[in-house]
Amino acid sequence: MKLIGHGGKPLVERVIADKAEARKKIKGMKEVPANRQMATEAIGIAYGFFSPIQGFMKKADVDATCKKMELADGTVWSIPIVYDISDKEIADYGIKAGSTVLLTCEGNPLAIFEIEEIFTYNKEKMAEAVYGTKEEKHPGVARTYAYKDKFLGGKITLVNEPKVREPFTPYFLTPRQHRAKFAEKKWKRIVAHQTRNVPHSGHEWLMKHAYIAAHGDMPVEQMESMGKAISGVLVNCIVGEKRAGDYIDEAIVLTQDELRKSGYFREDIHMVTMTFWDMRYAGPRESVHHSIIRTNLGLTHHMFGRDHAGVGTYYHSYQAHHLLMSIPKEKLNITPIYVLEWAYCPHCGEVTCIGLCGHWKELQKFSGTKIRSIIMDEVKPTRLIFRPEVFDVVMDSAKKYGFGSPFVTKEYLAKAAPAFRIDPL
Amino acid sequence: MAETFPINIWINEERFKALQQAGLAGLLKEELAGMKVMIVPCTEPQRDKVLKLFPMAKYDAATTKSIELLPKQVKDKLYELAVKRKTLSVMDEFIKAVEKG
Repeated sequence: MKLIGHGGKPLVERVIADKAEARKKIKGMKEVPANRQMATEAIGIAYGFFSPIQGFMKKADVDATCKKMELADGTVWSIPIVYDISDKEIADYGIKAGSTVLLTCEGNPLAIFEIEEIFTYNKEKMAEAVYGTKEEKHPGVARTYAYKDKFLGGKITLVNEPKVREPFTPYFLTPRQHRAKFAEKKWKRIVAHQTRNVPHSGHEWLMKHAYIAAHGDMPVEQMESMGKAISGVLVNCIVGEKRAGDYIDEAIVLTQDELRKSGYFREDIHMVTMTFWDMRYAGPRESVHHSIIRTNLGLTHHMFGRDHAGVGTYYHSYQAHHLLMSIPKEKLNITPIYVLEWAYCPHCGEVTCIGLCGHWKELQKFSGTKIRSIIMDEVKPTRLIFRPEVFDVVMDSAKKYGFGSPFVTKEYLAKAAPAFRIDPL
Repeated sequence: MAETFPINIWINEERFKALQQAGLAGLLKEELAGMKVMIVPCTEPQRDKVLKLFPMAKYDAATTKSIELLPKQVKDKLYELAVKRKTLSVMDEFIKAVEKG
């Protein structure tokens, strides 16, 4: 069945699943090693996470993305998906526009790359357009400046599917697989919670708020029986490049899942998956990109909170909301749900939405940094702000996967196995 | 009042009881649904020295306005010093001790 993705265009699926056929196709092809960043993006393209793009972007698409936040054909697009390469590599591998090469990852075949164009692009202009700043201390800008001097544009076809390691294996689903799961669950409305965090109660309530908002005018009677829900929350964890001090991905995925396992969400309304994507921290523009990815996963709604995908003080709290509001509804096929912060009110004795509670001066706001600080001090938080089962999973993940820490350390960066590997074909 | 750049040391039950017995519970504040925290103030120069001595730490200018990501062992030493001196004004002594090695 033809599935429709972002921009009302068919969901891209450029994968040769049959190994014998793949081996035949790549026979004699020139091999070009792809680094981890490029391999991750190639996988994302091929499975259709970035539909409708079918490959690494060509100059016209990059230019339109930077200048108009759309592809050359007018489809909304906010972040360039580019393949960078040096002149030396181009010479060494004899790459020319019009040639087809085999991208390899860890020495094994990954994807066929039909190179249509070799081009340059002003990296400073690209950074400023996407991130709103040229400062190298912005991690997305730093990534852009680190690109090599040339870019290759052209279609990608995956010939060797990634092997996702434990504990991530059950959480990685392609867009098609997401849609099959939603159909199986009979969910009609599905709201995305984008995360790279271990959940505290503030996050939990954001999800509950978004769920209720997304369910909206749908009937509720059948929800009196477990297993009959027709709306769901999809926690879609972003797994990709990490920075020291981030939560380790294992802790993020497993703690999010624990919220349902421990009954804070019903079995039939909550699901956790992951998507490979290196966060760019592009704030407003990244919120558009996240909308695109989740549209491709088959979601109907997307929650956006304070400083979505931001970093430092580069974007104001609700700048992402404003950018999303400026996009005509027919151009982004997912309904945004804008949410305010939830905080603890000592007067009410509960976690509440800051837009509802009148004890404004008494509110104790959640802060991710503060929660990290509590966890680093190995102090079990009160259950009102952090579920005890979630805390136990954090500490367990630290022992099992984080070399003693739930946060990314130099040791984790050096020793942890990547979330996926590419085996010999 | 001059701006401070605090270090938050979160206190578990065991430490809270010990501080209560020593009559030092007044050094603590309550945050986030009754969690106890010892807030050690730093001046701007002290903050800069801490960030230099412990490069993994960062000053969170965006949300908490505090020095974060200090390893537990470092905070434990700071906690012990505050309890020993019965005051939160321990940063100069703490920094000197770290610099001495």
